[in-house]
Amino acid sequence: MRTKTYVPLLFLTPAIALFAVFTVFPIVYSFLLSFQTSVGGEMVFAGLDNYRRLFGDQIFRTALFNTFVILVIQVPIMLFLALVLASLLHAAKRARALFRVSFFMPAVTSLVAYSIIFSIMLMGDGVVNQFLQAVGLKSVPWLSHPWWAKAALILAMTWRWTGYNMIIYLAAMQNIPESLYEAASMDGAGKIRQFFTVTIPQLKPVILFTTILSTIGTLQLFDEPYTLTKGGPSDATLTIGMYLYQTGFRYFDFGYASTLAYVIVVLIAALSFLQFKITGRDGT
Amino acid sequence: MTKMPKLFVLLVALSLVLAACGTGGGKASDGQGGADGGNAPKVELTAWAWNVNVGALKEAMAMYQKEHPNVSLKVEDIGRLDVYDKLSTGLAAGGSALPDIVLVEDDRIQGYLEAFPNGFANLSELGFDAKADLFPDFKKELTSKDGKYYALPFDAGPTGMFYRRDLFEQAGVDPSTIETWDDFFAAAQTIKSKTGAYAFPADKFKDDANFRMMMNQLGVYYFDKDGNIDFNHPKVVQALSMLKKFGDADLVKDVNGWDGTVSATIDGSVATIPFGAWYYGTIIDQAKDTAGKWGVFLLPAFEKGGNRAANLGGSSWMIPASSKHVEEAYKFMEFFSTTTDVQIMAMEKYGLFPSLSTAYDHPLFESEVEFFGGQKIWKLFSDEMKDIPTPYYTKDYAIALDEAVKAQADIFNGKDPAQALAAAAKRLADRTGRQINQY
Repeated sequence: MRTKTYVPLLFLTPAIALFAVFTVFPIVYSFLLSFQTSVGGEMVFAGLDNYRRLFGDQIFRTALFNTFVILVIQVPIMLFLALVLASLLHAAKRARALFRVSFFMPAVTSLVAYSIIFSIMLMGDGVVNQFLQAVGLKSVPWLSHPWWAKAALILAMTWRWTGYNMIIYLAAMQNIPESLYEAASMDGAGKIRQFFTVTIPQLKPVILFTTILSTIGTLQLFDEPYTLTKGGPSDATLTIGMYLYQTGFRYFDFGYASTLAYVIVVLIAALSFLQFKITGRDGT
Repeated sequence: MTKMPKLFVLLVALSLVLAACGTGGGKASDGQGGADGGNAPKVELTAWAWNVNVGALKEAMAMYQKEHPNVSLKVEDIGRLDVYDKLSTGLAAGGSALPDIVLVEDDRIQGYLEAFPNGFANLSELGFDAKADLFPDFKKELTSKDGKYYALPFDAGPTGMFYRRDLFEQAGVDPSTIETWDDFFAAAQTIKSKTGAYAFPADKFKDDANFRMMMNQLGVYYFDKDGNIDFNHPKVVQALSMLKKFGDADLVKDVNGWDGTVSATIDGSVATIPFGAWYYGTIIDQAKDTAGKWGVFLLPAFEKGGNRAANLGGSSWMIPASSKHVEEAYKFMEFFSTTTDVQIMAMEKYGLFPSLSTAYDHPLFESEVEFFGGQKIWKLFSDEMKDIPTPYYTKDYAIALDEAVKAQADIFNGKDPAQALAAAAKRLADRTGRQINQY
């Protein structure tokens, strides 16, 4: 009987060790780094210099603006689309499995691979523009115009992640009692009205969950802009995640990059807190 | 849960852990350097390079093995930008997972040396000083820091306009009549209307190779020799304005990166590709069915009689300090860099133009190259070498390039060149703390 108290601890030790080394240590070390700067290859203490620099950094502001524009446009569109698709699929009579799989497939693709494919498709004379011209529309400067480049990014991201969120909503919808829908239709509500008055309110906790996940993901957005446009044209699609990477690994300014990382953390925490507050403490 | 599934789960977990440990091992070499007579221990060197350089390295090792059968080489062919990403990451991690030999373009060397002062082997200590004078001054400047060498000079990139003879003939344009960029502008319009081919390709929003070549031939660059920001220099503005002129006339084909440039080269959608001599290797390798249809002429001058010589690229070999075989790697790379036969092989087969001065006496430089319609292209490039102005990259090259690319993107999207450059200069000054030269 005595031996059992330390046995669980023994099994936990590897996990705790890995956590400490790969999660806790980098978190603490990069916090320390954010107060240092590189002088001739050596890291020296620089107080709040990096943070002061951040406040005056025009490029950071551009990156922040871009990230927020994408966040505010892409996330609501994607989540709404996911809700609609989940709703349709929930009610579908045939080929459910086929639709589930095909909508979810994009979520399994490699971020870099699909970005490369999109960059080829969205070229000036690429497939998408050829199609647009074939139906009589003008070709769009997808990757060369500051606003169309953002649109291209939003398009790619929505394709990639809608299915993922759809599956989450679909699973949650199984838990909505049929009686609610029956009651609503007896009161004369049509399908669309039911969607807004029954489905969405019932899914509030799940919607909050996916919103927070999507927000965190978008605030860290890196792979797509890096592969699709390299942050271009002229920083129009530079996100704070990409700027962090550039600062650290292209310009070797690890101290400042750590500062950027922590500012992103604060932003994510603030936004998550706000989202919790708006939808009510536990989402109900 | 019964006993069998539990055992199974345990075995799976164990094998996963072992697999993870196994791959983390890295390169295992049998025996270190330092032989004590008799058979030298086997050494396997690893190298990172891209493109045609990989082949040159492998052939050179075959030549080296005649005298040193115990040394072998494993080359990883990684894309240029990916080499830099991996190198930066490895150096930042204190020198982990780095090869023994890595190819680095000349414009990046100072940046790496500044950021990682102990990251690379000091070649002067290994004996390179005695060989340094075999290379031109600008190469020596770029590969050294505080009087010590950290890189072995390899190729240079004397520039030229690689052009398709058949497209020019079809349009009735004679390249020998093109002396200035304005001449070329008129010719390009004729070529476009008669053949549909663009004047040249450009990755308009992600890279500024054409801009850099034009600046170099005008004797200016992002920075002046004192490291001040020179974006406002009238000649820099002139170069960008010329690019805008071609862009506005729809003579520039927008391509997506290196792959896009090569595709445009192969499919004949561009009449010329301005690039360094090393592009020869890519052309003969990728555009095999256009053999005999190519030619080269020097970059047009900005005014009649002006400078037509410039350099784009060129690289050198560096040895990360974390290498377990620094001495062996150095001996091989010294052999590679200073042996005329190796450099001639690299040039003949892979189009890598040597900066080793003893190589220029070789008869190859007087030969007619069939792929290029019998033109003596190597003579064109070697004659150009003495007129190339020194470009001042500095350690902030990466940031300056990013800002220049933004300015280029702006002008292709309609902005005025002088304004775009002034804005870029200001941003660069904010990011690097350097002074801006005002004109």
